Amino acid sequence: METLTALGHGFAVALTPYNLIWAVLGVTVGTAVGVLPGIGPALTVALLLPITYNLDPTAAFIMFAGIYYGAMYGGSTTAILLNTPGESGSIVTAIDGHAMARQGRGAQALATAAIGSFIAGTIATLALTFVAPALVRVALLFGPAEYFALMVLALTTVTAVLGNSLVRGLASLFFGLALGLVGIDLQTGQARFSLGIPELLDGIDVVVVAVGLFAVGETLYMAARNRYETEEIYALKGTKWLGKEDWKRSWKPWLRGTALGFPFGALPAGGSEIPTFLSYLTEKRLTKHPEEFGNGAIEAVAGPEAANNAAAAGTLAPLLSLGLPTSATAAIMLAAFQQYGLQPGPLLFESNPELVWGMIASLYIGNVLLLVLNLPLVGLWVKLLTIPKPWLYAGILVFATLGTYTLNNNVVDLVILWIIGLVGFGMRTLDIPVAPCVVGLILGPLAEQQFRRALAISQGDASVFFTQPIALALLVIAAALVLVPVVLRRRRRNAADPAVSGG
Amino acid sequence: MTTTSGRGLRLAEAAFAVAVLALGLFVAFETTQIHTARSNAPVGPALFPYIVAAGLILVGLFALREAFAGKVAHADEAGFELDWKAIVIASLGLLVHLLIVEDLGWLVATTVLFALVARAFGSRRLMADLALGLVLALLTFGVFNYGLDLSLPVGTVWEDLIDSMAADEPA
Repeated sequence: METLTALGHGFAVALTPYNLIWAVLGVTVGTAVGVLPGIGPALTVALLLPITYNLDPTAAFIMFAGIYYGAMYGGSTTAILLNTPGESGSIVTAIDGHAMARQGRGAQALATAAIGSFIAGTIATLALTFVAPALVRVALLFGPAEYFALMVLALTTVTAVLGNSLVRGLASLFFGLALGLVGIDLQTGQARFSLGIPELLDGIDVVVVAVGLFAVGETLYMAARNRYETEEIYALKGTKWLGKEDWKRSWKPWLRGTALGFPFGALPAGGSEIPTFLSYLTEKRLTKHPEEFGNGAIEAVAGPEAANNAAAAGTLAPLLSLGLPTSATAAIMLAAFQQYGLQPGPLLFESNPELVWGMIASLYIGNVLLLVLNLPLVGLWVKLLTIPKPWLYAGILVFATLGTYTLNNNVVDLVILWIIGLVGFGMRTLDIPVAPCVVGLILGPLAEQQFRRALAISQGDASVFFTQPIALALLVIAAALVLVPVVLRRRRRNAADPAVSGG
Repeated sequence: MTTTSGRGLRLAEAAFAVAVLALGLFVAFETTQIHTARSNAPVGPALFPYIVAAGLILVGLFALREAFAGKVAHADEAGFELDWKAIVIASLGLLVHLLIVEDLGWLVATTVLFALVARAFGSRRLMADLALGLVLALLTFGVFNYGLDLSLPVGTVWEDLIDSMAADEPA
């Protein structure tokens, strides 16, 4: 009941004309930027951060929520029509979605993605409304040791789960952690790794790193591959509406995708990649048309796209109630909170109920707006895909430098952007995932703080991490996530090789 | 000069491993330079950097082993190639931009950046690229400096020029 009252107040905040304008602007700009190839939700939020600097926090976060949801919708358009997924969550959508587009059923793929996203987004936002306050109650039981263990778990899942090589994931994670060390140590005031450059005393901004890795790295990679790759846009033709058969084949995958997506997003379990894959596999097993999978099955678009959006809403639950980002986008949202001097977590619900509930209420509104924007107006967004590549990527880099320079108005950030961009290009070329780096950069310093706080309370007794049941359980799960796959793989290899298993 | 064969990629893998390893050693060395004052806190500012350094070194060693074992990215794509000239031009664009943005200002720097990146993507219409870059620069400059109250640099060169012209004018 308490929750519903709070949500009611949130709607009162979100529905004021002033805030409504920011919500509309957020979803529109989010969709537009999300549709552009090569730009996913994480980068969209990072690039649009400067626009919100001088807004009041409530309006800013209502706009952010709109940008986030809008970019999720827009991303599926690019995946379906261009076969270039803007983020890991739409990789699966691209497979059958693009196949549908090639068969001239692009409009239907877009429609099932948009309606599925709407249904998943609405149900997941509803779940968020009730899960977030419940998580806050759990969070109040947490001390520094538990927080540290939780952050270790989040870092491990982001790393172990993404990509196909643990070593590459860990390299990315530790690079992020190393970047996070730069700056003044919060507890002793000691400068660390500032290399004598005064601008580095404030640390390296997560926005610069995200923009460097996602925008500059990606642009350099696209420039390098431009000559060897051609892509085709498939025009939308024929009827734009879902037929009766399409509806029949879509509605169950939408609901199943939602059920898979939200919990995975809400647990610190590495964002939207796993639930979308699981949804794909589930639909393939349950469908009457398994032969169509990979060649344009509508279920394979409906399910994963719903899972993707539900997971996006899910990641907001630990972000708002625990201050724990579990995806690259969430990490940038956390940076945005910090920009306003706000620390998400249980206290935020107490101190800024207007902001938290206004933002959650605006998610409901944003979903409705996005359905309107994406179903009848989809043709408009598709036009954005016809921007010539040289101008598109030149524009992306202009906005990358713009967002970076306006952070602190100094050139040092642009130098960091350039260096991180080159590193990002290398990572992209060698298939090293970038999300662990971004999440590591923002979570590393927070984890260190909790670690030292826990030890200060226990007066140096390191057993606090192993005697508190919650902390111990979280650390055991984290260790298992890394070790179990390694052990399993080794065992499988041994079983396949009789010489080894026999000896 | 534009080809990156399987051998090139294997070299890149090894280079990546060495880079991680080197970063770990650098972090470890820098950490020894952190001045740890005596305090009551049981953990000083140096412990976490040491953990990160150890992690980097370990991961670097594992990556080196993988590189020698022949685990290579894009192995399934025959003839994976990179256009190095395009990379150099695009990254040069960013470098020029950051070098001139405060002196010559946002408008000039952004126009140059836009044209260079467009060139890296194979555009041959220099005039169109420059014009479009300038339009985008003007647009962002206007929105940010007048609409959002954030100051993009005008350029010290122009500011000095205007100042000296104002000084020359009889009062």
